[in-house]
Amino acid sequence: MRRRSSLPVTFLVPTLAILLVLSMVPTLYAIVIALQNRELSTTGYSWVWFSNFADLFLDRRFLNAVWVSVKWEIVTVVATMVVAIGLGVLMFEVAGPRLRNFYCLLFIIPVLLPRVSAAFVWKFAYHPLYGIATYPYRLITGGLIFDPLSKPGTALFAVASVDVWQWGLFFAVIVLKLLETLPPQPIEAARLDHARRWQIHAYVTLPMLKAPLISLMFVKMIESLRSFDLIYVMTRGGPGVATETLDMYAFSQGFIESGKVSYASAMAVLMMIATVITFTMLWKRVQA
Amino acid sequence: MKPHPIRPGRLVAKAVLTLAGFLAVFPLLWTALNALKNNVDIITRVPKVFFTPTLANISYILGRDSVLAGLYNSAVACGAAVLIGIVLGLPAAYAVARYPNRFAGDIQFFVLSLRFLPPVAVAIPLMVIWLQFGLYDTLPALIVTYSLLTISVIMWLAIPAFQGVPKEIEEAAFVDGYGAYAVFWRIALPVAARSLIGAIAFSFVLVWNEFLIALMLSSSNAKTLPIVASELSQQGMNVPWGILNASVVLLSLPPLLFLGVLSGFLNSVFRQKKS
Repeated sequence: MRRRSSLPVTFLVPTLAILLVLSMVPTLYAIVIALQNRELSTTGYSWVWFSNFADLFLDRRFLNAVWVSVKWEIVTVVATMVVAIGLGVLMFEVAGPRLRNFYCLLFIIPVLLPRVSAAFVWKFAYHPLYGIATYPYRLITGGLIFDPLSKPGTALFAVASVDVWQWGLFFAVIVLKLLETLPPQPIEAARLDHARRWQIHAYVTLPMLKAPLISLMFVKMIESLRSFDLIYVMTRGGPGVATETLDMYAFSQGFIESGKVSYASAMAVLMMIATVITFTMLWKRVQA
Repeated sequence: MKPHPIRPGRLVAKAVLTLAGFLAVFPLLWTALNALKNNVDIITRVPKVFFTPTLANISYILGRDSVLAGLYNSAVACGAAVLIGIVLGLPAAYAVARYPNRFAGDIQFFVLSLRFLPPVAVAIPLMVIWLQFGLYDTLPALIVTYSLLTISVIMWLAIPAFQGVPKEIEEAAFVDGYGAYAVFWRIALPVAARSLIGAIAFSFVLVWNEFLIALMLSSSNAKTLPIVASELSQQGMNVPWGILNASVVLLSLPPLLFLGVLSGFLNSVFRQKKS
């Protein structure tokens, strides 16, 4: 057996202390700033306590940003899971081992790209005049203009498609690997009972993978919070405020438009409280 | 396996997969192609597949001081942060994996919960803090901030990697008279090396791709490559498309170098689960 050793203490304590400092200092300081009225242009400030928060709930642009964020979260998470499960099952069904490896390699590429790169690639592709993704539309309609990024109705979906391009394909690889870990007997048994292919997956394999699939969805929910890069590069929150998520609005309040750091920080604190509570509860349920 | 008769369902499935595979890489390949085009060949209503290639965009990009400075900043900030992540994250992960205590679950949850923090919520106060220290827009500030990311991610991924090392090997080393530290250095690290390299590569890709924090913590001196690349596009509608495409390719290359390592890492994670 292992003897008593100082190793756990020397290995763990410094790292945890540094992590605690690095995470708690900004977190607590965010709250402090949110209770003041700091602005980038001036150095003086005073304590205004909760008035930033009170202002937020009367700010219609903030309420819009909450709604856009919720839409973004739902659209990207649902679409990612649908694409992932669909393509994962298809690979499992019709691709041999070598083809599977090939697809897996291809499907990992988009998620490795910096979000900024992915956003650029698709911003060009969606260009109404010269884009490769809008070319089929121009071809079919004989030169009509389709500009998905500048229409309020489609902009959010156009940006979300890039997110799904990155994560949906990547998760398809994971769904395939999960399917490969399943024991073959239940699938064989269902096949002997003349179950159809889709029935086997709908009633046997996917229910068996319920727990890992829920964890996967959890990961995607966390990653979907990081939408800023895509939106910043592709639409800057526009047209109007159609794609202005919370982090985009906080950034523009704090930096671009008015330099109201405290106001932006109040927003960030609300986001932080909401996400930490939601995800802690979800995580405990996933683990249980 | 018995041979499958050809059915329309299978054909459709194969077609969908082929299309998905095409969609996965084609936009990037198209960007790479555009990086080799003159502007007149890019601004066409009908996309051009055949054109006279030019290296002007690439040489322009590589000759620009701002791009080279971004490349340098990215390399230093990411390299240093990953190094700190390795030095602090790997030992801590080993301690959690091999010396179970009643806090192990809480520690793992704490490390994961760092990922819940919205980046804006971290970036705004840090900007104010670094301004007060006079470190705003410097590489040290960026490195310290990124270390939070690399330490937590490396730790999170290295815990299962160390747990995957067969206990018997370590026990045998203890019997041979190795101390706890020697077992970590000479047994656990080398045996888990393959998975650990995957974890480290992943953390590098994560910070290399990071945008929001770098955007908020730098104004001129410490700008990383993603920031420089994004600024190139803010030149109105009269954009030099070829140059932009070339900068996207340059920015995307380093993470893609790790494609092999990371897909191998993914495989090893799931092979572990199976056994």
